Amino acid sequence: MKTLNIVLALVLTGLVSLSAQAVEIRDHHKDVIGKDCKACHDNGIKQFPSDQACLQCHDVDELAKQTARSEEDKWQNPHNNLHYGKELPCQECHGEHESKQPMCSNCHTFKFDKHKE
Amino acid sequence: MSNVDLLGRRNFIKGMGAAAGVAMAAPAMAVSEKADGVTWDKEVEVLIIGSGFAGLAAAIEATRKGAKDVHIFEKMSYFGGNSAINGGLFAAPGTPMQKKEGVKDSVDRMVADQLAAGRGIADEALLRHVAEHAVEALEMTFDAGSEYHPYLQQLGGHSVARTYQTTVSCGAGITQPLLKMCRKLGVNTHNRSKFEGFLVGEKGEVVGVKMRQNYHFGEDQPGEVLKIKAKRGVIMATGGFAQNVDLRMAQDPTLTSEVGCTNAPGATGEGMYEMFRLGAIPVHLAHIQSGPWASPDEGGFGYVSNYSIYNFPHSMAINRLTGKRFMDEIADRKTRADAELACRDEQGNALPPILITSYKDSKKHPNTKKVIKYNVGWKFDSVEELAKHFDVPLKPLKAQIEEYNSYVKSGEDKQFGKNMTKAAGKYIEAPFTVVRLWPKVHYCQGGVQINTKAEVKDSFTGQSIAGLYAAGEVCGGIHGVSRLGSCSIPECMVMGMTAARSMMKA
Repeated sequence: MKTLNIVLALVLTGLVSLSAQAVEIRDHHKDVIGKDCKACHDNGIKQFPSDQACLQCHDVDELAKQTARSEEDKWQNPHNNLHYGKELPCQECHGEHESKQPMCSNCHTFKFDKHKE
Repeated sequence: MSNVDLLGRRNFIKGMGAAAGVAMAAPAMAVSEKADGVTWDKEVEVLIIGSGFAGLAAAIEATRKGAKDVHIFEKMSYFGGNSAINGGLFAAPGTPMQKKEGVKDSVDRMVADQLAAGRGIADEALLRHVAEHAVEALEMTFDAGSEYHPYLQQLGGHSVARTYQTTVSCGAGITQPLLKMCRKLGVNTHNRSKFEGFLVGEKGEVVGVKMRQNYHFGEDQPGEVLKIKAKRGVIMATGGFAQNVDLRMAQDPTLTSEVGCTNAPGATGEGMYEMFRLGAIPVHLAHIQSGPWASPDEGGFGYVSNYSIYNFPHSMAINRLTGKRFMDEIADRKTRADAELACRDEQGNALPPILITSYKDSKKHPNTKKVIKYNVGWKFDSVEELAKHFDVPLKPLKAQIEEYNSYVKSGEDKQFGKNMTKAAGKYIEAPFTVVRLWPKVHYCQGGVQINTKAEVKDSFTGQSIAGLYAAGEVCGGIHGVSRLGSCSIPECMVMGMTAARSMMKA
């Protein structure tokens, strides 16, 4: 685990905009993932996690159910949306170590109140 | 948005030897190389780059013509390109719905409308080829399960109603079904795959491509580059470059990063420039179209664009400084965008004009609910209320409404010569819905020159480059100065299908 942290620290020093705080992870991930970077970084620590990484634990159908909207706004469901269905990789809107805007906000003003930036 | 810097490299048409040298020095730079002696990582039958309308239609058509091993490569993490986020408007002459609505139309008529907007520099042969096959492409979307509103629309510059629109009022109503169909037919789809240059044979023919794996757009991610052989050839369906601010400013310096853009972030044009490096002929690159139906109150295409496209025929566009109309609301896109950009306050600052529609008419389009709900459009019960909200002089506005309504009655617009067919009986009266308008960069009329077989012509030899086909917005010169709305989807799909047919025959 120590070596991993050292490697991670080395990687991060190369990225100017990131500070030590950037390795913060969400509270609900602390218990299940802890400091096991490889749990998500399945392509190696230097690489972004693969698009399958989050799906080890999260189920897109389940997520789509949780974020479903009323019939008239049903296509605003980020996990089953008009433009890409259920296929949009998680990383487009979610970043574990950095804040991200929902991709929808590029063009739309509707909000996702529970989205953690 | 994009960190792609192709402008720094002005000598893009260089000898292959020199280009290969550059590739050694800077591996991140996309360039073509000789294929001689290359170790192939993979071999495919049909190789398609880009997953918008053109790429998807090409893949389906190639399969229908007997191809067994078709691959689509998409650089973004998601499929559909810009096609997945546009209006889903499809123009075709002689359609089932025109028959039902009693609209008289023909290939000649559609071509004539497009030639007029092209202002003398459109490619008639290509326009005709697309119009002749547009119904076939529309049928492909029916086969895939696309659904359309049960009415036709008459878009700006079209002399008759000939435009279908998906029920979801978006191109995704076509890309999603086509993508599903592709997979059902066994087409292999690869996302996060970045085209990094052609591999060319002894006679300059395209024999394969370099393809970066695990690509994360806008990030420095060192994915592996595979050399992939394409047995039958490569179809470039890589789209326009409206999101590449450097490239579009090189053509038109007024299109700075401050000018909005309706396109998907991936519309950055590297595929097109790679073809220029290979020898393709650049056509009409400076003709970059802005959409006059866009709103400054939301990003990209948003909800307003389709709202305005639907409502323009029976609406009044008003200059807020004067309270008067300032354009034919269904003129071609360039005419309208230029007229809107001229709407300024006394200091010369942008003063986005407003589009006024009777609620009884606007509410027939599903987007009306959305624009009001999400605060990008507003509903008013009286002219007074409306005038106050937008600070429009009331008296001239009232006079203008009265005058416009007399044109609705007579069927003749004496102010701007608007075609009032679709406005018949639709008087401007309270309650109103109103949106603000300001043009956004939408479409690149320019690109590589192709012929009616979707072959790419070499600028030095005048011959088609063997093994290379191009389809969709990456191609140039088809529409001339101003592309008419709803004419891109048929063009993308027909030329994608054409590319597949040519390749399977070659």
